[in-house]
Formats: sequence, C-alpha cells, structure tokens
Amino acid sequence: FQLPARVHVPGLSSALGRSPNTLVAVRRVLLAQYSPFPSNGADVYEEVLGSTAILSTGNKNLDKLLDSGLYTGELTEFVGAPGSGKTQVCLSLAVNISCELKQKVVYVDSTGGLSASRLLELIQSQVDSAEQQTDALQRIEVVRVFDVYGMLDVLQDLRTSFTQQVGERERGVKMYFPLGVGVWPIVLGSQVKGERMAIMMQLARALKTMARELGVAVVVTNGVVQDMGGGVKPALGRSWSYVPNARVLLQREAEMGSLQETKRSATVLKSSRQVTELHITGSGTLENQTATDALDNT
Amino acid sequence: MQRDLGSFPLPPGLKVRLTGGGFQTAEDLKDVRASGLSKELGISREEALEILQVVKRESSGKETPGSGALPCTRRYTALELLEREQALGSIITFCCTLDEILGGGVPIAKITEICGAPGVGKTQLSIQLVVDAQIPECFGGLDGESVYIDTEGSFIVDRVVDVAEAAVQHCHLIASSSHDEEQQMAVQTFSVSSILSHIYYFRCHDYVELLAQVHLLADFLAEHPKVRVVVIDSIAFPFRHGFEDLSLRTRLLNGLAQQLIGMANDYKVAVVLTNQMTTRFGQGQSKMVPALGESWGHAATLRLILHWEGKLRFASLYKSPSQREATVPYQITSHGFRDIQPPGPFSSSPVTENPRKRPRAEEQEEQH
Repeated sequence: FQLPARVHVPGLSSALGRSPNTLVAVRRVLLAQYSPFPSNGADVYEEVLGSTAILSTGNKNLDKLLDSGLYTGELTEFVGAPGSGKTQVCLSLAVNISCELKQKVVYVDSTGGLSASRLLELIQSQVDSAEQQTDALQRIEVVRVFDVYGMLDVLQDLRTSFTQQVGERERGVKMYFPLGVGVWPIVLGSQVKGERMAIMMQLARALKTMARELGVAVVVTNGVVQDMGGGVKPALGRSWSYVPNARVLLQREAEMGSLQETKRSATVLKSSRQVTELHITGSGTLENQTATDALDNT
Repeated sequence: MQRDLGSFPLPPGLKVRLTGGGFQTAEDLKDVRASGLSKELGISREEALEILQVVKRESSGKETPGSGALPCTRRYTALELLEREQALGSIITFCCTLDEILGGGVPIAKITEICGAPGVGKTQLSIQLVVDAQIPECFGGLDGESVYIDTEGSFIVDRVVDVAEAAVQHCHLIASSSHDEEQQMAVQTFSVSSILSHIYYFRCHDYVELLAQVHLLADFLAEHPKVRVVVIDSIAFPFRHGFEDLSLRTRLLNGLAQQLIGMANDYKVAVVLTNQMTTRFGQGQSKMVPALGESWGHAATLRLILHWEGKLRFASLYKSPSQREATVPYQITSHGFRDIQPPGPFSSSPVTENPRKRPRAEEQEEQH
C-alpha cells in the first residue's frame, strides 16, 4: 500500500463509509509499524561493541591507515591503477583472515585475477604444516562471475546461504566474508547509461545490506580512469564514491622497467572513523608500505 | 525469496512498471499469473510472461543448486581451485627466462596483454604462442589448437612456417635422443602442415567485425574444444581510430574484456591480446604507456611490456596476480622468440647493427 501518511482522511472515510476516527487509528498503527524504532546512543554503542569485529589486514601500516583493520558491517574499497596491487591486497587479506583468524572468506572474482597458486604461496609463508595449509585453502571460497546480474545472483545466494548457516550454528560463531569484488569492470560493461546507474546502485545496496545484516567485512576493488586534468580518479563516478565506508588509493611509485624494488603506497581517500583527521586533509595520508609480507613475493 | 526485483535482468521499462504496480520482491510474483500481471501493469502478455520466466528461472536455479545454475556461479574452495589450476598448465614461449617470470609460460584461463612499440616483437611472440600451444603433451605441451584473430593484417604465414619448422625440429631432436616410444609416435604426426591446419585464422577489418567475431567465438570454442589459445593481434588497432565518442569506446572495450575473460574461464583458453603504445604527456615530461586508456589497463590479468633498451629487447612483467614484476632480455631469431644466449666461447653477438631491424642471427641452439 501507498504511504498512509498521505491519505486524505475525510475523503477516504466517506469513500469507505467508516468513521474518520477508525481511519486515524489505522493510520497511527501503520505509521508506528513502518517507522524505525528509536534507539538511544548507549544501546547502539553496546550493540556495536558486541557485533563489530576488526579484522587485522596482516600489514601494520595498512592497519594503521584503516584504524586497526577492516570493520565488519562496513564496505572498504581499494582503488588503484593497473598493477598497483589491488588484487595482491585482496589475496593477502584473504590469506590473513583464513590463516591467522581462522575465519571463512568468500572471494568473488570478477576479473579472473585470482590465482590459487599465489594463494598457496602466501599461505605457505604463514603456516608450515601441509594440513594447516589445506585447511586454510578450504576456508577460502571462490566464486567467479563475469557479469553484473551474475554478481547480484551470487550476493543474493550468499545472503540466503549465510542466514541458513547462522541458524544452524550456535550464536557467537562469526564468519567474515571479505569480498574481493572487482565491482567496476562489470558495471562499466553493461549497456545503457541509465541502466548502468540503476544497476550500480542496486549492487551498492546489496553489498551494504549484506555487510550490515550479516555482520561481515566487505572489501571491493575499483579501478581508476583518466581525469580531465591528466591525473587519475577512481572509476564509477561520484555516485559510487558515496558507497564505500572507507576508500584507500594504491599507487606504485617507481618507473616501469627499473629493476629495483617497486615501491607502493596506500593513501586514505575517505574514512568515516580515522581519528587522525589531519592526515586525511589535503592530499591525504601517504604511508610507505614497506612491509614486505603483504605485497611482495617471498 | 526476498530478492529485489530490480536485481533481475529485466528491461528498465518493465522494472518501472513493476515497482509502480507495487511488486518489489520475487515473492510478490510467486503466485501471479501472466494474464493477471499483464492486466494489472498494463503491459502485453508476452512481456508479463517474460518477467515471470526470468524471475522463475533465476530463483529456481538457486533452490536446487546444480540443476539450472550456470557453471560459473558455482562456489569453489580455494583448494579445489588450486587443483584445477594446476591441471590447466600453461603455454611455453621457448624463451626460458620469460617462462620463468611468467611462472611457467602464458597461463590458461587468463587474459595476457602484450604491449610494445612497433617492431619490438609482439606479433612474433603471438605467432610463437599459436605454434607452441600445439606441442604434443609428451613434450610438455598442451596438444591444443589455436585461434588467431588478426586486425592489422600482420599475420605472415611464411613466418609461421619458420617458427613451426623450428618447433617440429626441436621435438624431433628430443624424440631421437630419448627413444621414448610415445614421443616417437607423437612426432610422426607433429608436422608443419598439421600445425598450420590447426591454426584458425580470422581477419577482422574493423571493430564491428571484431566484436561480431568475439560474439561468435564462444560457439566456435564449444565446437573446437581443443583450442587452447586465442590471440587477438592487435586489440588496439581497430579501436584507436574513428571513435568520436570515447565513452562508447570504453564501454565497448569493457564489454569485450568481460566477454573474453568469461570465455577464457569457461573454455579453458589463454587469451592473448597485443596492444600498442602511446605517448602520454604529464608534468613536463612524456612517457610511453600502453594505448587504449587507463581503464583498459584493468582488463588484462597479466600485462607484459616489450621494449628496447639500447640494442637489446626486454620483456617486463608489469602486472600479474601470481608473479613478481621482473624484466628479462630476449631476442627474435629466424626460429622465433628465444632467450639471449649467454656470452659463450663461440656465440656470435645476437645484436644486429640496427636496433629497429629484427636480428636475423642464424643460431641453431635449441632452448628447451
């Protein structure tokens, strides 16, 4: 039914032959049912403390940048040019969560960039025994989708299967799904411009509700496009930029072709909680990611 | 079934009608009949039927997994994936050092982009790959077939014959020295003509033809399950000219990349694209970057940049999900794409006087 608030009471009462008072009562009930229940800040705080977990990324500098790690219920986005290390960050996140935190990971691969041998390589650097390695590998689930409707399918699927699983398990056991979703190539591929926007928002909503409802940390990757000024900016435009809770820009510094170690840096572009506001202003924080465990081969 | 109707692949016009009619989730459509729906929304019966079919197909595929669900939306654990990945193998390039930095060769089920200045050897590497994909299994090859989509007209059959001859000769050498029966058998049928007959060549003159061909490629690959490599030489050429609307180009290219990666994954083929280089000006200096813009750079899973340094050719792995970046030298001989020989007592210098010309040093060494 349409919003009861907009109904003209006298008109409707004569049309239905009911007294205006009944209708007003009905309207009040409906409004009460559909309006959100007020909650006070202390309760919200309690709830957040109880349900939010912060997943360490396994890299000290990156943790610091994200205010100690990935938050469940939030959407973290990594933006970067080709070869800047988005996939590597996602892979090492997956491995870290699977190995160190012993949690499940769902990796949605939309660019074909996931390489299981690389995962194994990263896992091998963390744990030694073959048994643990197998376990860690089994905790990572991979879905490959290459179009946007398939992606929406998968997200829906995850939601249903996850709610079922939660019903089966005792409460307190939590599973976290960081999703290495390359959102943008899929969205850019879809045909009509107006539809693209609609689909993008659909996807944004699906990801956000999933993060919030299931209490999982969601990680997405995004590419960059050429800016008017010759620089680069994150793809998908302004409307997408409101979607992620935190946004990290990855860059590579060294010139191509040089044989020495390529330096990479991460910059926070957007964050709702980074206390050190000072870092974000201006050109943004620039922290050198020298820690080798996350981005380099072992 | 609480799935939002907006997330189904329906035309936008129908979505608007559905929302206007108060239908929001798939559950709302559960017990609705097509005639009722068409009357209620003021749409034709066919459209109503289409909506119901789409919604039903999508949701039934989920309730009974495996029956109607597409294979690509299956969930694998990384362990299963690792096993599958290891079974796939990769295409060797006949250049040891390049194979090494690629992790064994050009990987199957991934997109590899080869970028480079004119004459640096992009086409040579492509030709080498379409030949190498056919090396019999007992020699460590894939025993596959190849698809070559030529947009530039640079596919020279004589050159393929040269490269194929060298490959055949190489296998003969191994077979004669090892006395392995399986290899003897394989070498009987492995000839230049068999190689040539298993290269499927398509000549596309403009981007319309290319897009059409890629559309049909999935069917072609289904008919020819042995195809292991699809080369598009070059992806840049048809897209660099004649586009007034650059956003259209970006859209087409992204769609193309999406189709290719889907195909690479479904049919287990390595997709190899060559790309040209362009000059970008910025902050007072200019540098060479791969063409087709920033967003195209994300399309390929691996990016290999071929470049000159003085008189030597180098291949740099710029982007790869599994290997670290590295730069190695290579050379192009009459036999194809090869390693640079370490300076030995009798090795002639592989470098010719003019770096713009392909070195034609007649070395007889065999690398693999």
